[in-house]
Amino acid sequence: MTSAVETLMAKVRDADRFDYSANELHATQIVALNERFQDRKDSIKLLAMRAREAGKEAITSLADMVPLLFPHTAYKSYPESYLIDEKWDRMIKWLGTVSPYAIQPIDMDGISDIDDWIARLQGVGHFISCSSGTTGKSAMLLASQKDMDWSKIDTVGVFSWGSGVEPKQDRMMIGCAPVATVPKNTIIGQAQTEAFSNPDWPRWNYPVPPITVGSLTRMVVMRKKMADGTAMPDEIAAFESTSAERQKMLDDAIQLTAEEIIEHRDKKLMVSGLWSGLFAVAKAVRDRGYSAKDFNPDNCIYVGGGLKRAQLPADYKEFVHDTFNIPANRDFQNYSMQELNSGMPKCREGNRYHVPPWIVPFILDKRGDTLMPHDLKGGEVEGRAAFFDLSLDGRWGGVISGDKIALDYSPCVCGNRGPSVRDDIARFADLEGDDKIGCAGTVDAYVRGLS
Amino acid sequence: MNDQSPIGTAEPVVSAPFFLRGELLEGTDVIQKSRDLGVSFGTPAIPFAKLVHPRTEVPPLLNVPLSEIIDFLVMTGERIRDPNNPFMAECIDRMCSTHILPREVVANQALYAASYLDKRRLMAEVEQNFPDPAALDGWVPKQDFTGRKSFIRAFAPRLIHVLPGNSPGVAVKSIAQGAMVKAINLFKMSSADPFTMVAILRIMAEIDPHHPIVKSMSAVYWRGGDDTIERVLYRPQYFDKIVAWGGGDAINNVVKYLGPGFQLVSFDPKTSISMIGREALSDDATMDAVADLASADVMTLNQEACVASRYQFVEGSEADVDQFCARLHHHIARRAADSGDVRAMEMGMKEEIEALMMMDDDYRVWGKTDGKGLVIRSEEPVDFHPINKTANVVRVDRLDDAMRWVNVATQTVGFSPFVRMADYRDRLASGGAQRVVQLGEAGPSTIGNPHDAMYPLHRFVHWMVHEDGVTAE
Repeated sequence: MTSAVETLMAKVRDADRFDYSANELHATQIVALNERFQDRKDSIKLLAMRAREAGKEAITSLADMVPLLFPHTAYKSYPESYLIDEKWDRMIKWLGTVSPYAIQPIDMDGISDIDDWIARLQGVGHFISCSSGTTGKSAMLLASQKDMDWSKIDTVGVFSWGSGVEPKQDRMMIGCAPVATVPKNTIIGQAQTEAFSNPDWPRWNYPVPPITVGSLTRMVVMRKKMADGTAMPDEIAAFESTSAERQKMLDDAIQLTAEEIIEHRDKKLMVSGLWSGLFAVAKAVRDRGYSAKDFNPDNCIYVGGGLKRAQLPADYKEFVHDTFNIPANRDFQNYSMQELNSGMPKCREGNRYHVPPWIVPFILDKRGDTLMPHDLKGGEVEGRAAFFDLSLDGRWGGVISGDKIALDYSPCVCGNRGPSVRDDIARFADLEGDDKIGCAGTVDAYVRGLS
Repeated sequence: MNDQSPIGTAEPVVSAPFFLRGELLEGTDVIQKSRDLGVSFGTPAIPFAKLVHPRTEVPPLLNVPLSEIIDFLVMTGERIRDPNNPFMAECIDRMCSTHILPREVVANQALYAASYLDKRRLMAEVEQNFPDPAALDGWVPKQDFTGRKSFIRAFAPRLIHVLPGNSPGVAVKSIAQGAMVKAINLFKMSSADPFTMVAILRIMAEIDPHHPIVKSMSAVYWRGGDDTIERVLYRPQYFDKIVAWGGGDAINNVVKYLGPGFQLVSFDPKTSISMIGREALSDDATMDAVADLASADVMTLNQEACVASRYQFVEGSEADVDQFCARLHHHIARRAADSGDVRAMEMGMKEEIEALMMMDDDYRVWGKTDGKGLVIRSEEPVDFHPINKTANVVRVDRLDDAMRWVNVATQTVGFSPFVRMADYRDRLASGGAQRVVQLGEAGPSTIGNPHDAMYPLHRFVHWMVHEDGVTAE
């Protein structure tokens, strides 16, 4: 017998996957949520605690799931000292509170640093991806081999659907952003290369040293030492000079990438990156006198993430598209987050991000603890975004984000009937702004030079 | 301009008028958000021309005697405390719609704040800040050992005060301090309290709308960091000093406008702690009494203020310290219940605490993450900033071990037993701390004492020198 989770996940190969209305998916999704809950409620300690506190034994409605969704901060709730003091056994114990599977034993002797620790865990089937937060603490997101396999399929499907570009191995791929070396990014990169890249044209990787979890952690450690006042001036000077070298490499990378793009301008290109990097490279290309007329009209672009507080001119998107001759109907954008394992591509007709059947969206109040009134049959709801990604295997699929979104249950003008997100996603943290003045505060306000 | 798109647009808009040197300016040109509750309030657009006093005119208060200023402030204090005063009652009503603290706490704060407006108290403040307060009222003659003579004046400055949002008392204090140094004052209010300052200034205008003290005060709101306003106003041609509370973005925004002639007097964001020696754990009765004192420091202004203790370094074995934690939790929960403060715990902190609950061989937690009071015991301070009735007891073998956690952000250290304090105060000061008090006494302070490691009034004024040559022998 096929489970509801499997039924919904099987739609990943369905060309009409975004055409199922929330209302018609509802019953199956509730059954699927309950399947996931029953399956995990005893194995994920944090979930068990939440379920006990909320008195939940089964999921029979969306509202039942709300107290069981994890805030995005749940994956950075480990004490920072575990990481700084390299207490790997403690970190493993913490991972055990958010993992559905017992953490497999690894050789604990002579772990040289966090990258080594992560590699050893990967060797026994635990994939840790890490996102750097603005506060310095990184989220540690645990995933399984199944999650890696799913990412591979999903990322290609999302890009294909959102851009209209078929996976024909006929492009040259140009990376325009430094990519953190974490399993999820690596697997996504591989999958896209296999799908879209001409095997004769090696992918251009942005020429900067890899950002590893270790390198991010060294920043965190340095920041902590600065705050505590234990960082010696020589140490800070050395750190600053490393940062300056790194900045130089980043600056050089922009120019080198622009040259590479110009050299291969006759080829069909797929440029990828974040807006800030794409804009910088596009500008360098323009500065050299090249623009749309010099590039293939069948080029495409893969943009990850939003603006991430980058300060760009108002017309940054048009500028990038015009530079690389991206067709107007290929404005690919994807809404997702590190905590999920699937993407929500933007349609080309309605400019809305579409939620696939295996992601159950929840719109909560600002605090994130109450479901906003909604009608699955149609209408728009605005509030804090939360999702349950039913595809997730190696950690709990329910996540409350820091985003404020508007979700519409009515059909989109693109013709698809599934729920979709308006193209004006904002972060609550940014909306609150910087008017937080008080006499009480932490030593974080006394640390300069690391951000 | 600084119109913020509201997150939910259904709630009514509360009006927050401006006060401009005696005039009240109502308007809802701009709809603003309050930071904590997400309530909207409306303000007029910024009337730039009325906020700046031309340098060609001396400040209105310059030649008003300090004694008259203090009398006026004292009268203001009496009216603030008058329960029938319509401005204060209305202010408290409005404030409760934007402030995170319960009504009673807010009302008491206003009353407590007004107690600052006491003649002896204000005089003590001036006398502690200035070696010779006469320099505020006139040109004080001086002579050095070579016989050179001069006159010195603590000249009236032009000040911008960037007010914090977590303590209405700061409004009263800022008015008093600004008046006593005879400054031209522009108060930039916070979104958490865009009302108290205006209410007090209206009370002052009611006493005498033409008094120079009233003519020296303006209070407005704009969203902190709004370049379209700050780029215009933050200039040495208009103001001498900016008196700002807070850190992070709030200060970074201000810092970029500093330069010759435009200086910062900053009241920095601070963290307060407690240090509790093993003597406190000697028997049940002592432990309970000390835990009660510690809870008083934790719960100062329901832990919203900088003086409120967040980390308690307790000397003893794990078992003893755990017993202390249980008592501390009892007293915090009792004070929380008495205050009627039922604010729920913020999601991020709740999440961190729940993780610690599961790491139960390193951490222990008393209470639930329900905002009713909670204590965490650990071997080193937790990563987050304990707030909203949350105490982090850090067990140490010796209080000396706690010194490494004292840093430049440490403000008040509540100490028990106080007899051991002398062994620690030099090292605490060297580490960055500013104030050491007996446990349970984080709130009160000796009148006129330095704040944030300085005498603020002394820094506010424009020290003007009039050289007068050498005495003829």
